[in-house]
Amino acid sequence: MTTLEDIEHYINRIALGDRDAFASLYNSTSAKLFGVTLRVLNNRAEADDALQEVYIKVWRAAGRYQSNGLSPMTWLITIARNHAIDRLRTRKKGQTGLDEVAELADPAAGPEAQAIASSQRAQINDCLDELPADRAKAVRRAYLDGDTYQDLADLMQVPLNTIRTWLRRSLIKLKDCLSQ
Amino acid sequence: MTDDVTDDAPLSAAAEYALGLLTPSEARAFEEQMNRDINLRAELVLWQEHLVTLTDDIAPVAPPEHTFQEIADRLFGVQQKRWSLTSLLAGAASAIALAAAVAFVILPAPNPSHNDLIAGLVGDEIGLQVDAVFDPDTNTLTVDRLAGGPAEGRVFEIWLIAGDDAPVSLGLLPDAPSGQVKIATELAALFAGGVLALSDEPPGGSPTGAPTGDVVAVAPLNSV
Repeated sequence: MTTLEDIEHYINRIALGDRDAFASLYNSTSAKLFGVTLRVLNNRAEADDALQEVYIKVWRAAGRYQSNGLSPMTWLITIARNHAIDRLRTRKKGQTGLDEVAELADPAAGPEAQAIASSQRAQINDCLDELPADRAKAVRRAYLDGDTYQDLADLMQVPLNTIRTWLRRSLIKLKDCLSQ
Repeated sequence: MTDDVTDDAPLSAAAEYALGLLTPSEARAFEEQMNRDINLRAELVLWQEHLVTLTDDIAPVAPPEHTFQEIADRLFGVQQKRWSLTSLLAGAASAIALAAAVAFVILPAPNPSHNDLIAGLVGDEIGLQVDAVFDPDTNTLTVDRLAGGPAEGRVFEIWLIAGDDAPVSLGLLPDAPSGQVKIATELAALFAGGVLALSDEPPGGSPTGAPTGDVVAVAPLNSV
């Protein structure tokens, strides 16, 4: 059973160039991170490529992990999410969208990965539920689909400045709720 | 479009930054601001920790079988030798027994002979320069510390890495500028084609039998 302490230990060893620790980290976290890149990119080949780039970043940035204040899975998932969204935005600027049917979750993903995935409490969902549904959706779309203010304005068919004001107010409410 | 929150309620850019809603120039400005403001940084961490739970519902999916090998090839393929060294050094080792078989004695350095193997160990970042010469005729390793040394309260430990084997401790780098290690016969056979490395360790050397601190210098053993 891989614990968060184990993950943190692997990252610290990776910072020293420990390839065995890198393999251990990959084995215990790659299914979750692949789930994330797949969810954002919705294309298995692209998600695989993104996953490779994510672990390359992890290898190179491990030495800076200690100082960023994040818990280890947050650090890893945030790298995966940000990288996948960067790719998604690059793709959107291009002319072709290679949408594929979303992959179903793979039950073969190990129990360790499952345990890590469910180890965090989802307080933000409760707070998002207190917002009007379309605003909660906008926050989720920004985080999980990489929507920009412009994307959201187009989607909701409202002016850009309106969506900006709208979402900022929602974030203030969200912050209040999360800090309770 | 109505809202029950007043327009002037304060909101830093941390949330928008975490969501990726800022323009690139706004994001750079926020980063600069955050570097000076520890509270802003803490706020960003809080947002990131909260937002990441939006991925809780995303089920893990096993990546393709070949993916890890491709990552390793992309990371270590070009500098295979260097990377494999550091990883080997950090890996688990059953080197304690072998390490006990060697000890340092301080002797004058002999002249290199034709079948000697030499390794120039350089740690650029800490200004370290150590020359190591292995004489297969006498199974002795001579180390000359030309510049640099461990930090106060630390020592450097010498390691031999042969092929894919775990690193084997050859003992501690002596305080004196020059010293020799007598190498056991079964270890001596591993020097040809091997690599020497120095790691930063607590007094007395690695307590685990494998390097525990930074690898400060690595060099292959070459013929003279």
